[in-house]
Amino acid sequence: MALKTSHDGHQRIMNRLADSVFELSDEEILADGVDPQEKADRTSSVLRKAVDKWESENARLSNLGHTINPNKWRSVDGSYHNHCLNCGSSASFAMATGEMQGDALGGSCPENAYPIKRREASR
Amino acid sequence: MAHVLSLTDTRPQFEIDAPFQPPNSTEPPLPPLKSITTAPQTALVVANEFLVTLLRRCFEAEGYTVRIASNTDEGLRLYRDFGPFNAVIIEYDAPQCDGVKIDCLLPQTSGKNLAADILHIKPAQGIIFAAPAYRSPDDLSLPQELIHIPVLIDISIFQLRTLLSTLEVRRAIEALTVGDRLRLMSFARYRIRALGRAAYNSPAEDVLEDLLAEALLKTLTGDRRWNRDFPFVWHLKESMRSIFDCWMKKRENKETYLFTEISKPNAQGEESSPLENVASHQPTADRRLQAKEEVARIFKLFTGDTEATQVLQGWCDDLKPNEIRQKYGFDEKRFVSAKKRIRLKIKSRRNDNGGGKEHGT
Repeated sequence: MALKTSHDGHQRIMNRLADSVFELSDEEILADGVDPQEKADRTSSVLRKAVDKWESENARLSNLGHTINPNKWRSVDGSYHNHCLNCGSSASFAMATGEMQGDALGGSCPENAYPIKRREASR
Repeated sequence: MAHVLSLTDTRPQFEIDAPFQPPNSTEPPLPPLKSITTAPQTALVVANEFLVTLLRRCFEAEGYTVRIASNTDEGLRLYRDFGPFNAVIIEYDAPQCDGVKIDCLLPQTSGKNLAADILHIKPAQGIIFAAPAYRSPDDLSLPQELIHIPVLIDISIFQLRTLLSTLEVRRAIEALTVGDRLRLMSFARYRIRALGRAAYNSPAEDVLEDLLAEALLKTLTGDRRWNRDFPFVWHLKESMRSIFDCWMKKRENKETYLFTEISKPNAQGEESSPLENVASHQPTADRRLQAKEEVARIFKLFTGDTEATQVLQGWCDDLKPNEIRQKYGFDEKRFVSAKKRIRLKIKSRRNDNGGGKEHGT
C-alpha cells in the first residue's frame, strides 16, 4: 500500500502503542518481557521515592512551624508555589529536583510559636 | 498565629476502598469492616481529651468517621475489633490506660508500643503520631522500625490534610499490582520514545522516571485530582499523558524574545544576531527528517504484513480504533492481533538495537 506519513507519525504510533499496553491482560503484560518483578519493583521504587521526598519536604516546613494549605499549591513553570498561612513567607516545590525552596525554609515561622511554647512548658 | 482549625476550608478528599491487602500478601485476610466503618472514611484517634476534640473536628471536616480511644490499651482493642482504618493517629504521650498519670520526665513508650502492635497486625496500616507537646519530630525517641511514621507537631487541619493525602497515596502505591506497575512503566517508555531521540538531553531512563514521579507529585500537590471513581493506575496514566502533552507543547510552542533579551555580546564583545536564537513553532528540519525516517523504518518492519501496515497507517493518520477497523474492514480480533504483532516487533527491534531488556515495549 502507498504510505502517507508525516513527521508526527512516529509520535502517534508510539502514543497508540502506549495506550495499547493498558489493553493487555495481566498474563499478557507479565509474559511480555524479561524479569517483570524487577521492572515492577522499579516502578514502585520511583513512586515511593517521590512520596518520601514530598513528605520529608513538607515535614521540613512543618518543623519550622509553617502552615501550608495543601489545596493551595499553584503551578508556575514546573514549580509549585504556596505560602505560610501564619507569616506569609513563600515556599516552592520544584518538580525537577523534588526540593522545597523559598523564604519559609530560611527559618522558623515567627507567627507560630505554639509548639515551641508547649515544649518549653513541658520541661 | 493562624487558626488551628479552619473548618470552612473543607473538601472531600478521601474515599475508602476495600480494606487494603498488599499484593501477594501472606497475611490472612482481615475481617470485613464493621458497623461504623461502613462509612466511606474511617480513622482511629488515640489521644487525650483535649487532643481528641481537635483531631476529631479535623477528621470530621475531612469527611472521616472517627473512633476514639483515650488510652493505648483501648486503642488496641478498637483496632482489633474494627481495623483496619484509613488512618490511625496516636498521641505520642498517650497513657497505657486511664487513670495513669504521665511522668513527663520519663520516656514515653505506650504510644510507640501501640504503633508497633498495630503494625504487627497490619504492616500496611497508615499511622501518624501526634506530638503537640514537642518542638520537633527529632525530639521523639522512635525505634528504627517506627522511624518512617510521620509526626504531627502542629495540630492543624492543613498539616493533617497533607499527611492524610500522603498516607492514602502510599496505600494506593502499595496496592498497585505487578501488572499495573508494568503497564505504567511501559506506557511511560512509549510516550518518551514519542519525543524522539533529540528531544531530551538526559538519558531516556531518567526521563522515564521523571515522568512517573511527576505524575505522582502532581497528585500530591493537588494539581491533578484523583477521581476515586477511577483506579489509581488509571489516574497515574492520565496524569502522565497530560504531562507529556505539556512537554510536547513546550517543545513546539513558538517562543518570543525581546531584542534586549537575546542580543548579548560574546567574549569578543560582538553581538550575535537575535534571529539565531528565535525558536520556531515548527519542528526543525532535522527533527522532521529524523521522525520520518523512524516511521519509514517501522513500516519496513511490517513489509508483507498488510494488516499491521494498515493499523500503523491508521495510527499515523490519527484515526480512532473504530475508524481503522471500518476503513480496512477488520474485526476486533484481527485488529487486536495486528496491534500485538506491532508491539512485539517494535520491542524486539529496540532490544536488538541495544535498547536493553525492556518490559512491555
